[in-house]
Amino acid sequence: MSTTDSLSSRDAILATFDHFRDELDDHNDRRERLIKSSRDITNASKKVIFLLHRIMTEGDTEADDRALALRAAAKARDKLRDIQNMFAAVRGEVVGDRFWRYQKNVSPGLQEYIEALSFAHYLEHENMISYDEVQKTLCAEDGTPHFPLPVEDYLLGLSDLTGELMRFAISSISRRGGRLKASQVCTFVRACRAGQYNSLDLSLCSAIAVRPIFDMGLLSFPCTSFVRLIADVSVDFEGWTPFFRDLRKKQTVTSQSLEKIEDVAYAIAVRSSEYDIPPELLDDIVERTVTSSTYGGTYGGDRKRRRIDDLDGDEE
Amino acid sequence: MDTSNVELINELLDKDVEIREKIKDEVNEFDKKTRTLCGLLNKIHSTRSEQIPSLLNSVRPVLNSCQDTSAALAALIPANQFWRWRDMWTNSLRSAVFAATLMHYLEAGTLLTLPSVSEILGIKDEWNDRFALSAEDYLHGLISLVNELSRLAVNSVTLGNFEEPIKISVFVKDVFAGFAMLNLKNDALRRRYDSLKYDIKKIEEVVYDVSLRKLAPSTKTSDEAQHVAS
Repeated sequence: MSTTDSLSSRDAILATFDHFRDELDDHNDRRERLIKSSRDITNASKKVIFLLHRIMTEGDTEADDRALALRAAAKARDKLRDIQNMFAAVRGEVVGDRFWRYQKNVSPGLQEYIEALSFAHYLEHENMISYDEVQKTLCAEDGTPHFPLPVEDYLLGLSDLTGELMRFAISSISRRGGRLKASQVCTFVRACRAGQYNSLDLSLCSAIAVRPIFDMGLLSFPCTSFVRLIADVSVDFEGWTPFFRDLRKKQTVTSQSLEKIEDVAYAIAVRSSEYDIPPELLDDIVERTVTSSTYGGTYGGDRKRRRIDDLDGDEE
Repeated sequence: MDTSNVELINELLDKDVEIREKIKDEVNEFDKKTRTLCGLLNKIHSTRSEQIPSLLNSVRPVLNSCQDTSAALAALIPANQFWRWRDMWTNSLRSAVFAATLMHYLEAGTLLTLPSVSEILGIKDEWNDRFALSAEDYLHGLISLVNELSRLAVNSVTLGNFEEPIKISVFVKDVFAGFAMLNLKNDALRRRYDSLKYDIKKIEEVVYDVSLRKLAPSTKTSDEAQHVAS
């Protein structure tokens, strides 16, 4: 014990605490700065998501959905690059072991960014962005990552995406005019046959719900494709919920999103099988269904409304 | 999601789970040691000052055995991931800091520095991105020390040692002056810091009682007592 250092005078103690103060101040200031940038990133990402929604739902002039999606993705890409630069600016603050110290402060922005990025990626490539692809967007030019991408943030970001897709799917259905592209449905059917669906119940249900609709060629491509994607996400994510506390909560929201789309799909299938109705009339029916499904009308009013309230609450 | 991505995610998660399980085992060991330490150190409240050195000698091997735990943990944590896993062992580590600083105080009457605590616990500087003693953990340990000393002030009087409360009072005030220099934000450390004033009050009351009845001998201490009483 004689070799060890100790402080016997008040001055010595104060000098040591002086050092601690600098250390704690440094930590708190950095934390504040990161929270601020995380908030900025969240804002910028939300704007990208709105931009995508706007282009996809207002672009009535565009004849081809695919071209519209590509245009939206291209516009989003510029904005996303700005956000990537914001991450690059953060890099210096989270060098080495520091990243994990501040991960909780960085993660809200990171998740929102992943949501925006995956939405744009989905519109462009019609598939789910992979972990590696997300990490690649968070690298310097020399290919070294700004910081390691936490699996948790990746999964939670994707989980949020399903909510956006639900909103998007519903608004797509209610759009007037058939935007059905035979080739796209064809792709979808092929994907189905190729066993894109897991044998798990959830996705099977959605497959059954959707099948009659595209058989009749009534539902436009984006919607069916969303159902598939959300069902996929839901199935994969279910297995990961034990790993993260937040994921279970988001998983509930995902299931609700899926159910909403299924309800709409079901309404279209049932009603259009009864009557041989022209597409314009179908549009009216669909519009009504969408309104009631979104604002808690038709079946089990209260239960439905509560569920929607929950959803809104979770998303905030 | 395509399969290779799902596989990658699963692989990453499995790796984390594996590390977490291993850390948990080590932390359980660590916990056992710190509980033993605190249990043994509890005897200071009923041990006369002459016997304190021999009590400390019996505790020291347990404290030294914490070095094995430090080494085991440092070997488990991947590079740069200190802060990721740190929550798992903070409680044990803070108890160890408490034990080390308390033992040192009883022996030398002074405050053991952070680097010295690291050394006693066998934490090496080169592990700083994997296993380190952070200022926060050290400060938490010190607050536990003050909590314990306020109890010791009372019990040492019961055992007939009237000087001890005065020594404790000087020491605790020095530490408190140190804490007062920090800009604490609203966190656990801040709350525990706020509790220090009750400990100081308790110690002051003991000092007051002792000096009022002229139980404490030296003149220097009565100066101190007057200062406290006023």
